[in-house]
Amino acid sequence: MATGLYPQTKVLSKNFDVPNAHTLAVARPRGAYQSLEKALRTLTPAQVTEEVKKSRLRGRGGAGFPTGMKWSFVAKNTGKPTYLVMNADESEPGAFKDRYLMERDPHLVLEGALVSAYAIEASTVYIYVRGEYPHSIRRLEGAIEEARKAGLVGKDILGTKFSCEVYVHPGAGAYICGEETGLLESLEGKRGHPRIKPPFPAVEGAFRCPTIINNVETLAHVPWIVAHGGEAFAKQGLPPDPANPRSNGSTGTKLMGVSGQVRTPGLWEFEPGITLRELVYGYGGGPLPGRKIKAVIPGGISMPVLLDGELDVKMGFDELVKVGSGLGTGTAIVMDDTCDMVEACVNIAHFFGHESCGQCTPCREGCHWMEKVFRRVAEGDGQASDLDLLEALFKGIEGRTICFLADAAVWPVRSIVRKFRGEFLAKMTPAPTPAGA
Amino acid sequence: MPKLTIDGRVLEFAPGQTIIQVAQANGIEIPHYCYHPGLSVAGNCRICMVEVEKNPKPQIACYVPATDGMVVHTKSAQATEARAGVMEMLLVNHPLDCPICDQAGECKLQDYAFDFGHPTTRTPVEKTHLPKNVPFGAKIVYDGERCIKCTRCVRFTDEITQTHELSMGARGDKELVIMTSKGEFTTPYAMNIIDLCPVGALTSKDFRFESRVWFMDFTESVCTGCARGCNVTVGARGGRVLRMTPRENQAVNRWWMCDAGRLGYGYANAPTRLTGPRVRTSARPGEFADVGWEDAIDAAVEALRTTARGGVLADASATLEELWMLKAVAGAQRGELRYASRVGHDADGFLIVDEKGANQRGAEALGFARATAAAPAALLFVERGDAVPKALRDGADPVVAFVTDGADVPPTAQVVFPLPSFAERDGLLANVDGIVQPLRRCRAAGPRDLRAPLEILEEIRLGLAPDASPWTHADVVTAVRGAVAPAGLEVPDVAFAPAPARSVAAPTARTR
Repeated sequence: MATGLYPQTKVLSKNFDVPNAHTLAVARPRGAYQSLEKALRTLTPAQVTEEVKKSRLRGRGGAGFPTGMKWSFVAKNTGKPTYLVMNADESEPGAFKDRYLMERDPHLVLEGALVSAYAIEASTVYIYVRGEYPHSIRRLEGAIEEARKAGLVGKDILGTKFSCEVYVHPGAGAYICGEETGLLESLEGKRGHPRIKPPFPAVEGAFRCPTIINNVETLAHVPWIVAHGGEAFAKQGLPPDPANPRSNGSTGTKLMGVSGQVRTPGLWEFEPGITLRELVYGYGGGPLPGRKIKAVIPGGISMPVLLDGELDVKMGFDELVKVGSGLGTGTAIVMDDTCDMVEACVNIAHFFGHESCGQCTPCREGCHWMEKVFRRVAEGDGQASDLDLLEALFKGIEGRTICFLADAAVWPVRSIVRKFRGEFLAKMTPAPTPAGA
Repeated sequence: MPKLTIDGRVLEFAPGQTIIQVAQANGIEIPHYCYHPGLSVAGNCRICMVEVEKNPKPQIACYVPATDGMVVHTKSAQATEARAGVMEMLLVNHPLDCPICDQAGECKLQDYAFDFGHPTTRTPVEKTHLPKNVPFGAKIVYDGERCIKCTRCVRFTDEITQTHELSMGARGDKELVIMTSKGEFTTPYAMNIIDLCPVGALTSKDFRFESRVWFMDFTESVCTGCARGCNVTVGARGGRVLRMTPRENQAVNRWWMCDAGRLGYGYANAPTRLTGPRVRTSARPGEFADVGWEDAIDAAVEALRTTARGGVLADASATLEELWMLKAVAGAQRGELRYASRVGHDADGFLIVDEKGANQRGAEALGFARATAAAPAALLFVERGDAVPKALRDGADPVVAFVTDGADVPPTAQVVFPLPSFAERDGLLANVDGIVQPLRRCRAAGPRDLRAPLEILEEIRLGLAPDASPWTHADVVTAVRGAVAPAGLEVPDVAFAPAPARSVAAPTARTR
């Protein structure tokens, strides 16, 4: 990389380029399971949770909910077991960060799960892995086997009284099973239909027991937090907005990726603070020769697009919301000037219509309706009134359903329709002239 | 009691009640498809969205609990717009084949589209096509395109029968209901999903294309298929019973009924039904002449006056009043009071009970005893041949017989009166738990101009004892009330429609 670029901070990715780092023999001398040992021998579960709270770690699955706060919601003294579920159903188009973690450093992922299970006093961890990630599944299962032989998984871990079983559960190919309650239904052997909330999983989750569901990357941060303390983590990245007492900033580090029409797509790790422009032009290498960047979706397909002129925003949770988009998974998708934005909408709407679980009327019917209208416009059969119809559909779909898939289906295409209205109008059939005119 | 406000009305509620429950309890209608009080809340149809102040998004009334001080608007701009949006979405891929849909006229899609649908279509796009005319077992047909995916039917087989024959399949706008079992239901309650279906996606093979519902006459009655006495609505037209559907009664059948009961009305439509009185004309068994009602009554009085035979053998589906009158008429004679009923072996701890006599408890309470062997009886009352087997009814060698179907007439009976079926009589039945419920006459069912057995028995009674004072139906009910009280049966006050001068047939302006 050229000098002058925003610096990388390799915490989660420190072993990504180390040969055989997926084996315990390589990972352990490089520090794996030291945080587990520290937590089990020197910290109470409440102390681990407290450090995570202090770290201001926010969920890396897309929603950015404070992890420590989530953990504190676990229903206590229910007489039921508590479960930790790792959401490894990385199905968001454009996202591939969790796959890197699972394939290249599965012991870090596993250690994060074990320490977190200890914190919430769970003795069972389910790792729900996207079915299309067979290599991730193999690597995780291999790591669990190695860890079990080393006394790091199973009964009386490291000779302490903490016992924890870890199970890998492959998904069956549904995007909706990345939604946490859809995931739970699938884990229980049912159709992946998201549940109505409340109750939230922390009160009634897997098998009706208190359950915490965290993203892979989220849990992979926990060992570092235990090793260095929550305050050290909170000092990295973007601090909370002092003007907003509810803000949590974007602390620690974040895996960020670029895919699409750029010269050097890839995955890197930064303290939040890098701008989307530096990410796309610096690390992503900018547009292909002779092309111009037209639009960027900053965090997986579910987020609204930003134009080339809007890329100077910092890659942080709150910063991207302020410009009408979101950090999401932190994996940007780049579209250049050869990209037909109407076709992009057909593609996006088709994806969400196909992945809608079918449960709620507005999502089941609305997503496909959007797709049909986009397709009509793409094929040159659209009319100007279709843009009004689309706006009505966005309104009728967003915020009207059990889960957020419907919202995610609306956000990118609505932003495209609004920002690229001219492209849509250019494809419209001219209104027929009245007879005799 | 905590209070909330719905559409400006301040309403008390019990903690735990949802918005829709409070609204329904207070007569405020909130549209709903997937919500059903007998099933878990699915929250998927979204038509019950209402505006709840301090919430930016519309909320589903079926799931959100009422809270103290909550302010709900069901008719505000936000609520109306949200509902209209859902309504439009529901019709995007709906085939709109109402003209040939059995549900038309009692379809919630039609009702709510009428209330707040879009007047014009904004969907000049090809509709999504799904499987149609899919058999769900032998009795039910599924139409994936009419289906609104509310999952009521799936939840019924999961939660009520726990037989899990149904599931949702596929995803998105291809989602549909599928059978998980090998093509047949194991539950005897499967047809309840037809009533649960708020649209025309699940139809009854038995009722399909039989009649537009608006040409039918509906009567609230009870099922006489067994001693449970499930509350039903009987639908009839042109002298035929066309449909029975369950009616909510939390004390008896909740919202459900069994398939056998639902389909058990067929004998009421049998072509072999008796339509007028008959009198034996010769010593040869089985030879009868059709006579007028008054002649038959005179013949019955004369025959009973001269016979030495006494006693009654009655179908246990006879009403309390009928049993009382049989007893009163036979009282002049000596003899045993006996009843007969079918006893099955299919009780399931839910609704179906082994005892099939719809008024067996009532018969016992009035001093009738179960007939165990053939024995002579002066009066015979047979509504269903399978309740009073041939050996018993022929062995009764009755003087006067009330029989529904010509095939069940004992060849040696002297006077035979046609008996109206369960769908054509008014009266009271005591169910297996001793709950006394009204059976009601459907105006549009049965052959024309049949006379009620109560009336005939009263005329015979007066014929036998000319000095006796006449009884009205109400007098009989009062007498029955006192007679069954010691057995623990409580007879409610029930108003029956006055008996018609002649039976009224269904609308005949249009023929099917």
